[in-house]
Amino acid sequence: MNSSLQEIKDKIGNNDDFFFQRDYLGEFPVVLMAFKTLIDLPKTKKMLQTNINNPFTINKTLDEFLTGIGEVKEQDSKEAISSIMEGKLIVYLENIPKFVIVEPVSKILNRAIEQPVNENVLQGPLNSFTEDKDTNIGIVRRQMNSDNIQVISLAVGNDQKKSLSLLYLKDLTNIDFVHKLIDQIKKNQDKELNHLQDLSKILGFSPWVAISKYHTTELPLEAVQFLKKGRVILFQDRLPFALVLPSLLWDIFTLENDRNYPLPLTIAIRGVRIIGLLMTLLIPGLYVALVAVNPEVLRIELALSIAQSREGVPYPALVEILMMLVILELILEASIRLPRSIGPTITMVGGIILGQAVVEAKLVSNLLIIILAATTIANSTVVGFQNSLTIRLFKYIIVILASIYGILGIVAGMVLVSAYLAKIKSFGIPYLNLKFAKDGIKSG
Amino acid sequence: MKTYKLAAIALLHFCLLFILSGCWNNKDINHRVLPVAMGISKQDKEYKVILKIPEPHQGTTQIKIVSATGTTITQVVDKISMNMESSVDLLHVKVIIIERETAEQGVKDIISGFMRARDVSAKALVVICDEDLDEFFSKIKKTTGPEGTTLFDFFEKNAGWNPQIALTRIWMVYRSIHSYTHDVAIPLVKSGKSTMVEQIGSAVIKNGKMVGEINSDETLLVNAFNGEGIQGRIEVMDHASVLIISDRMEHKSKLIEQKPYLQSQINIKVVLLETRGDPSTKVIKKELEHLLTNRFNLMFTKFQTSKADILGLGQFYRTQISRSQLKFWRSKYYPHLKMDIKFHINIQNEGYLKTSSD
Repeated sequence: MNSSLQEIKDKIGNNDDFFFQRDYLGEFPVVLMAFKTLIDLPKTKKMLQTNINNPFTINKTLDEFLTGIGEVKEQDSKEAISSIMEGKLIVYLENIPKFVIVEPVSKILNRAIEQPVNENVLQGPLNSFTEDKDTNIGIVRRQMNSDNIQVISLAVGNDQKKSLSLLYLKDLTNIDFVHKLIDQIKKNQDKELNHLQDLSKILGFSPWVAISKYHTTELPLEAVQFLKKGRVILFQDRLPFALVLPSLLWDIFTLENDRNYPLPLTIAIRGVRIIGLLMTLLIPGLYVALVAVNPEVLRIELALSIAQSREGVPYPALVEILMMLVILELILEASIRLPRSIGPTITMVGGIILGQAVVEAKLVSNLLIIILAATTIANSTVVGFQNSLTIRLFKYIIVILASIYGILGIVAGMVLVSAYLAKIKSFGIPYLNLKFAKDGIKSG
Repeated sequence: MKTYKLAAIALLHFCLLFILSGCWNNKDINHRVLPVAMGISKQDKEYKVILKIPEPHQGTTQIKIVSATGTTITQVVDKISMNMESSVDLLHVKVIIIERETAEQGVKDIISGFMRARDVSAKALVVICDEDLDEFFSKIKKTTGPEGTTLFDFFEKNAGWNPQIALTRIWMVYRSIHSYTHDVAIPLVKSGKSTMVEQIGSAVIKNGKMVGEINSDETLLVNAFNGEGIQGRIEVMDHASVLIISDRMEHKSKLIEQKPYLQSQINIKVVLLETRGDPSTKVIKKELEHLLTNRFNLMFTKFQTSKADILGLGQFYRTQISRSQLKFWRSKYYPHLKMDIKFHINIQNEGYLKTSSD
């Protein structure tokens, strides 16, 4: 037996789903190799057979015939193995030191293009990205339909190969930025890529940044619009969303679908999101500040009614609000973990317990429940789940500062958050860049 | 290694935040007593302070009246705070009620104390009470509803305020004590028979001392002159009653041979409400002009004799009299001020009925 054939067999032959069969391709003895779990064997064989019996192939030479059925490669067991892992069929010629990588009929291991799961679309296109990277690129091409789109694919990882694809528009995207990005990925091509933290490592971002450096979207409409704004889209195989680079502050407030409404409504909707962000950040802190540190800011009527609602509450305002906020975080977290059928139970139990029983037990004040409800609702208005997580984290900083310095603490907290945002840069592009689309990457 | 060091430093700073801030002195709102009104009277050398405190109690608010005496106001408040289960927080005091005798002796020390200590907001209203404070507060306690803010609502512009009530805040009284040219009127009240408070008129304050008294109608003119707005005020005459909807003023000041002259024109827009007989608009206009001019002149002579410049007319001469001479505005110039006031009435609306114009 051929040495390189033996090598392949040694390496992956122990797998029970490894398919290894001697056969004849016309008059040549060949070995067919593939994973049964990745390809549809009967159909693939049938396809090969049709190729052989094709009347046009009869007069061809062997080389011509081989190029006809797939990619002909010189003996290289490593490449053969990685092709098998990718789900290709290898036709190994026993007499000539060559093998052919045949594109087989693959098993359908991907789900179909479905409606988005993490984002809701109102009156907009309903398709969304799937796990298959190539499908995603296809969707983008279909959505945009322009010869301007440039796709660059890179494989990352030593042990397991993961492929990344970069999409950008040739004439709109700053080429410097694209080159920087590609260079950075190529530099770290041997690193493992399992999740976005790994990707951050590859792209050289600090792991301690509290804000997601990628804007993620499931919606082709949004992704295409980002392309038009001169951003780069990154598709990672097996990740059903597009990663938009660089991510900017304004992305938190805008959805391209907003533009499917009249302009005044677009502006109003975006205004609501800005209010939502500010409310999430400020209201819990404001409660602590007004109740514990600066009650003189309140109108006397309000002060009296708050004092009344807090009558008999044993904890100071800070402990009270932290306790309830933590319970709320637990509910949010639990409702993600739970199967969809039990999900409503959590909502009900959480609603009843938090809303009614806690107040009646005099553990917290009425007003706090209102504050919590407003905070949670407001928190969900921003675009992108990863952004709402960031805001959820930031609000604790403001709560703690407010409990110490009152209104002044809230202002200080806002300054702190703003300064932090101002510090963040990716590839030289500041996070607070608001006019990215218009004048490109000047500072990049 | 470097990350751990950084994390340790960050943690240390975070802990310092709590140690150095002194935030354990913060008291939650339900552990503070929030008085809405404060009564002050001076008996011999001692101050008596009465606090009106709304207290939440099983779903409703109850009024608590607390009083104590001492040599200074802060000492008295401290005494009250000591004896109460929660600490007294004066930041929400909206109304300061001063007994009439105390006001006549002078409120300079009290007001300066408030301005200095910042315990009480400088925006709190000052009111003078024309009866014994203890009596006043005990009657208030009986008539007050469960909201606990009624005394404050009486003076609140978006609640119970009327244009014939003077609105004077602590900082205005403080200004009147130190300004050469500006005095204030402070509302004068007593407890009412059927209503909680009865407005008698206004006290004329000069340099922090009460020197005279004007009635509600005169207070209205003062308010109009100070631009407080007299919308909605009904004026009754022999032949008609009208509703004043807006007023506008123009002043021309002159200083001839060290004698001040002032020409004022007040334009008033009115709506006709009721007539008696068949007066023409001309008659009504004339009558109203006459009524207002007479009332104003009478009041003004009163001010001049008491040498209190409540209208702030001295402000018009600030550019014409030197700073050193301005000191004598109240004594030398103001009593000789010749004021020529003209009311111009414009009937905007006669209602659904026609009225003849001649």
